[in-house]
Amino acid sequence: MDRLSLLVLVPALTMVIIAMFKDPKKVRLIAAVGMGVQLIQILFLLFAFFAERNAGNTSEMLFVTDVVWYQSLNIHYAVGIDGISVAMLLLTGIIVFVGVFASWEIEDRTQEFFITLILLATGVFGFFISLDLFTLFMFYELAVIPMYLLIGIWGSGPKEYSAMKLTLMLMGASALLLVGILGIYFNSAPDGGQLTFNFIEISKVNMPMEAQMFFFPLTFIGFGVLAAMYPFHTWSPDGHASAPTAVSMLHAGVLMKLGGYGALRIAIMLMPDAAHEMAWFFIILAVIGSVYGALGAVAQKDLKYINAYSSVSHLGLILFAALMFNQVAYEGAVLQMISHGLITALFFALIGMIYSRTHTRNIDEMGGLMKVMPVLGVAYMVAGFASLGLPGFSAFVAEMTIFVGSFQNTDLFTRVATVLVVSSIVITAVYILRAAGIMLYGPIKNKKFEMLPDARWYDKVAVFILIGVITGIGMFPGWLSNMIFTDLTPMFERMGN
Amino acid sequence: MQTELFSNTVWILVVLFFAFAIVGLFGNRLKPMLSGAISTVAILFSAVISYTTAYFYFFQDGMINGKYAMLIPFQHEWLKFSDTLVINMGIMIDPISVMMLVVVTTVSAMVHIYSFGYMKGEIGFERYYAFLSLFSFSMLGLVMSTNLFQMYIFWELVGVSSYLLIGFYYKKPSAVNASKKAFIVTRFADLGFLVGILLLSFYTRTFDFTTLLGPDSTAISSMAGLSFMGVSTISWVMILIFMGGAGKSAMFPLHIWLPDAMEGPTPVSALIHAATMVVAGVYLVARLFSIYIGAPEALAVIAFIGAFTSLFAAIIAVTQTDIKRVLAFSTISQIGYMMLALGVSGYGGEEGLGFMASMFHLFTHAMFKALLFLGAGAVIHAVHSNYMTEMGGLRKYLPITHITFLIAALAISGIPPFAGFFSKDEILVAAWANNPLYFWTEWFVAGLTAFYMFRLYFSVFWGENRNYEKKPHEAPVSMLIALVYLGIASAVVGFIPFSQFVTSDGIPFDIHFHWNIALPSIGIALVGIGIAAWMYLKPGNVADKMATSMPGVYKLSLNKFYIDEIYLWITHKIIFKGIAAPIAWFDRHVVDGSMNGIAWVTQQVSGRTKKLQSGQLQQYGYAMVLGAVAFVLLLLYWGAR
Amino acid sequence: MELSKFLIMRSELSLLVVILLLLIVEIFSSKRDQAALINLATGFFLLHTILGFMPGVEGVLFGGMYQHTALTEMMKNILNVGVLILLMQSSGWLKMDSNIGKVSEYFMLTMSTLMGMYFMISAGDFLMMYLGLELATIPLAALVAYNLKEMKSIEAGAKFILLAALSSGIMLFGISLIYGSSGSVIYTEVMGNMNMNTLQIVAMVFFLAGLGFKISLVPFHFWTADVYEGAPANVAAYLSVISKGASAFVLVTLLFTVFKDLFAAWEVLLYAMAVLTMTVGNLFALRQQNMQRFLAFSSIAQAGFILLGIISGTHYGMTTVIYFVLVYVFSNLGAFGVISIVQNATGKFRMDDYSGFYQTNPRLSLVMLLSLFSLAGIPPVAGFFGKFFLFAAAAEQGYYWLVIIAVLNTIISLYYYLRVVKRMFLERSDKPIALINSDFLTKTSIALSVVGILVVGVLSQVFDWISLYSWGM
Repeated sequence: MDRLSLLVLVPALTMVIIAMFKDPKKVRLIAAVGMGVQLIQILFLLFAFFAERNAGNTSEMLFVTDVVWYQSLNIHYAVGIDGISVAMLLLTGIIVFVGVFASWEIEDRTQEFFITLILLATGVFGFFISLDLFTLFMFYELAVIPMYLLIGIWGSGPKEYSAMKLTLMLMGASALLLVGILGIYFNSAPDGGQLTFNFIEISKVNMPMEAQMFFFPLTFIGFGVLAAMYPFHTWSPDGHASAPTAVSMLHAGVLMKLGGYGALRIAIMLMPDAAHEMAWFFIILAVIGSVYGALGAVAQKDLKYINAYSSVSHLGLILFAALMFNQVAYEGAVLQMISHGLITALFFALIGMIYSRTHTRNIDEMGGLMKVMPVLGVAYMVAGFASLGLPGFSAFVAEMTIFVGSFQNTDLFTRVATVLVVSSIVITAVYILRAAGIMLYGPIKNKKFEMLPDARWYDKVAVFILIGVITGIGMFPGWLSNMIFTDLTPMFERMGN
Repeated sequence: MQTELFSNTVWILVVLFFAFAIVGLFGNRLKPMLSGAISTVAILFSAVISYTTAYFYFFQDGMINGKYAMLIPFQHEWLKFSDTLVINMGIMIDPISVMMLVVVTTVSAMVHIYSFGYMKGEIGFERYYAFLSLFSFSMLGLVMSTNLFQMYIFWELVGVSSYLLIGFYYKKPSAVNASKKAFIVTRFADLGFLVGILLLSFYTRTFDFTTLLGPDSTAISSMAGLSFMGVSTISWVMILIFMGGAGKSAMFPLHIWLPDAMEGPTPVSALIHAATMVVAGVYLVARLFSIYIGAPEALAVIAFIGAFTSLFAAIIAVTQTDIKRVLAFSTISQIGYMMLALGVSGYGGEEGLGFMASMFHLFTHAMFKALLFLGAGAVIHAVHSNYMTEMGGLRKYLPITHITFLIAALAISGIPPFAGFFSKDEILVAAWANNPLYFWTEWFVAGLTAFYMFRLYFSVFWGENRNYEKKPHEAPVSMLIALVYLGIASAVVGFIPFSQFVTSDGIPFDIHFHWNIALPSIGIALVGIGIAAWMYLKPGNVADKMATSMPGVYKLSLNKFYIDEIYLWITHKIIFKGIAAPIAWFDRHVVDGSMNGIAWVTQQVSGRTKKLQSGQLQQYGYAMVLGAVAFVLLLLYWGAR
Repeated sequence: MELSKFLIMRSELSLLVVILLLLIVEIFSSKRDQAALINLATGFFLLHTILGFMPGVEGVLFGGMYQHTALTEMMKNILNVGVLILLMQSSGWLKMDSNIGKVSEYFMLTMSTLMGMYFMISAGDFLMMYLGLELATIPLAALVAYNLKEMKSIEAGAKFILLAALSSGIMLFGISLIYGSSGSVIYTEVMGNMNMNTLQIVAMVFFLAGLGFKISLVPFHFWTADVYEGAPANVAAYLSVISKGASAFVLVTLLFTVFKDLFAAWEVLLYAMAVLTMTVGNLFALRQQNMQRFLAFSSIAQAGFILLGIISGTHYGMTTVIYFVLVYVFSNLGAFGVISIVQNATGKFRMDDYSGFYQTNPRLSLVMLLSLFSLAGIPPVAGFFGKFFLFAAAAEQGYYWLVIIAVLNTIISLYYYLRVVKRMFLERSDKPIALINSDFLTKTSIALSVVGILVVGVLSQVFDWISLYSWGM
């Protein structure tokens, strides 16, 4: 049993064990333990990864296992990791672990909830270790579909509508993606030879241009929808507003990153020529997304809507960076995925905690909460500062990397686009401080709120872990950025030719 | 150039950061006094290091073959973009950074001590000191930055600590709004700064000051010949960077946040919004001065903005009644002086007089403006009001405060031998040399300054006694220490031969005194004081008469030329109601609507076609036969093609 | 010819034996021991199924009228498994009082239709194939009308037999034209003289119309909804799975052999039919309230997907078609199984009745969930693989637009499958369907289909096994 497959096996086992217990206390304990084990083995994986690299193992993918699965289509169960995927795995591990604690108070169908949640996580882990487009796609859908149940059953508000919309839009995207992947497969050996789903192999060949022109948009949009690409982002606000806390965390924190990861690594890296051809169009969409999302957030009153729109804005940044064809910008895109994943997870966790106390998410109905629940209040401010790209937090590193990278493109179009994108961080400051100001500061509006309890121990676990990682990356970004940059090099160089 | 000298300066940052961390994380578990003590000890420690550094730099090791050198005692790679584009965290020791070290640590230390008295018994005492330490850390990190990006990083941190301190009384909505305003306005300005940095680094392939400012800097050459909309690219870049400086230093039209920032505790205003942070913009321009020299358009802009702002703010200061706001506008005006001085300055030796004058004024201003604020703080502490209309005759109750405040007032009015006189004089000389118009403006502003300062002074300390509900009392010792120390400083620092230490190119030069400039400036100052005395020394309604005699100007000035209202209109009516809200609507109804529309159409189609399934056998039969025939025809048609 | 040659017809013979045995048993059995009879019949069929997996003898009989190859044997085995599961499923229903005295009929009718399908599959010429078709159709009509007391059931039976008659008429007409144009009805000989002339095209279209009726391809699908709705749930399942599967197999083999040279023609035909069938099936399924009717339309749509595999005309394509049929057998039987259990226990068949189903019947609703996800093609269950491979087959030949239309259709289908999921899991009902206990056989049958759904996809061996025997044009 190779160590990467364990990443899928451990969650699977956790689900099985959970299935044996009905008592909520036991269930969440098992879930916590299982995901804890998962996180720990990811950390070990990270160390092992560094050990390999320092030992001079420069092969693009490490810990590779490759087993033929479906002979006829040359489908393999091929797993492996490089700096990018290991970083994403770390992100996922942290957020899933934290998510368990964020859903500590779920009493209704606890068993089913955690099973579904971990099923989703399994899909994500599988996605990030896959080297084979088929399994990658399979895990992708595996991660998306549980959202329907999670939102539909444990959600709030118009949950059935939101769940259906989210599922249909995302599955619709993945349908396009399926065509794209098939297209890539059947063009994966233009000059004869064995067709393959292995995207490392595919990235080494030049797909014929007309094929690229047909399949790039399918693939890019297919992934882009999950990354809330304008104008296909509308599932996100409703979905997040209705989803239970942990699901919002996982979804905005990790699932949306599948989109970014795929858009960069599959769509662009495999079909660079078409990407170059069509970049201008998608750049426009990305810029609209980042600015428009931020402006949209300014006008919102519901905390979750604010955060959903800010996610649209920040993921717009990722897609933008992915279209810059510049290694530094790509590094920035990956950093931004991780950073935004952590920050938005922290936000949703806090929103969930606040909501579970105040039973409202409308900022106008709150006020002076800082006095009542200082820990949550301060944590919210930290999240806010992190999100508006303050130095010392991960987002600053990511955004600056993106901007520096994007600025290496000299043409006026890209310049203007970049400046517009940069301007979105000012708008971010506006809506973050607006929400914080109304909600946390000033006199306590609602007398009922004076007695509200502050963070409980499991809340603190969730919040402090996330804040720790965010600031950790923010203060010592060197190792991460170097790791990502180095491992981007081979792919990036292949794109050139 | 790595060097072991001065490497102890790194402890300044380390100590302050840990002070912040400890007090910030565990402050609520410690005794308030203890947490206050921790921060104070930290800042005193850094003050000591700074003073020794200054001594050793200026009198022992700084001078390397006739030139004050740029030393980098400590440098560590923090984030690497490419081989040349690297963000380092380091410490740079050169004349202006050392000077700033002294200024910041001095004022900050004084404010720490002062606050023991002023903030006594406040809720969040420890939070207050944590933020103070954070600010000192960020500010010192800013001044000692070795590269543009490090500067930007600490620049942002300074901004946020200012935000936190302005909003210290977070239960007061006005304070919350003020802090928000301050942060967003400066953030907007920093946008320019950031883009400027990115452009500059794109052309020069580096962030490092040593490369950018060194003799063989590519900053100007790399952009030679490039221009955009008729202005050379280098000027665009430097103007963008100046935008950031203008935001922090509250230059028109980005000044609106500073008056509101007075919502913060008064010691904070003294530290951040008078002495240190607000001059960061000046420092930024000074830091990049050798590049600005290559961008004459940028310098012209800076000079004009500086001159205009100083006049503009001075006029407003004349009519304000909230003493802290008067001081705030006077700060804006004085920084205008510094900017102008930089704008009109040349490079090297006598040419660089403006530069030196600007730094000199920055130095002296820090002392006496901090003193003014702390004095005002003592007054407010005594009478629990900000409005001079509710004050008067306080000299009897607060003798020491009164004296120190008077010294500061004389200093800022440019009365010899107090500090302000010397620095302002140099600025006027530089202005005259560049453009007499600037000279006359600043000369007039000097008069205004003297007038509004003494208006304040007289109506607070003289005039008739208000009947205070409880008798005002002199400030506690901790506050007096600070007042006295700064009072002495304001009195004497003017005699420092500044041009021997801080110059544009690091090479000292001698300045000779210009009576032809000095006398008129003293004259106008005395006139200003005289008018103030006539109007406010004795109780009477001269002032009101004056006001009513020219209502237009008076109203404009009183309402700060309605700039705030204009901003309010733009942000609320245009950006919020005009853009954000429509976008939110558009997103819900058009974009999302179209998504739902697809689903709706499908539903409709299915609803309509459903009745085709009629259950009628014969229809099914027809369908089958006709279907088959239709297919035949289709194929035959296809075959025919 | 010596008798040993009859071993080639082993499956037909053993099935015949089973039927005869049942006949005899039925004569001596009384109305009381229904249960015994059911178990016996199922047992017999189990033996027959097992026998089917024993290595058989390939060969041709009756001058090419009958042929038995590894491929046909495999197809028969797949059908056997399906029928076995189905029979077990029916046991609960057959035990009901309303069916007393009709039990053995059910078995005999079912098996004789299966016999018909065997002949369809193994037919070596059009007449044989036609006979098989009739044998597979007429008893079905009787099965559809099995609930004699129920008006709906009888009506459905009537509709079915009449339309079936019409369709076989059309088909016969086609066959006669084939004979006229090629001078033979034996596949191998017909194959020789196929040359795209108008007559042959007309012939082919009419012949396919007949088959299309059984696979319920648009526009020959209209009977499906009404008949499924009227028929007993298990019979509907039989129609939707076994007879559809068999006909699909016949379609693919005939198109790949006899009508090989008419590819240019039937390519267009299948393209059109595929688009129509998928779209119409989905659009109609969108708003159904009656579960059986809803599954009827969904099964129409599924048939449309099958055509994507056929149109490719490759070895891989045929493999995917058979594979998909197998997957489809398990998935659909799972869904129909739950429906029939619910209907027999409570008589409820509307979608609304299922709201809050999970509260009371978690197991059954999970089975339903899996089956629906498999039908919708959600990983990691078998349906995902089935669909992916079908699309791959079409894509391989460059039918990308067809694939795009297909995937968009899967989204529509996902919507209505999720509607059921919503009823069962999302909604809370204050009076949900009470907990249902079903007998052993039914449980096992459900278990079997679940195992199938879970395993067939993940174990690539299944696919390879099918791939071993299939071939392309």
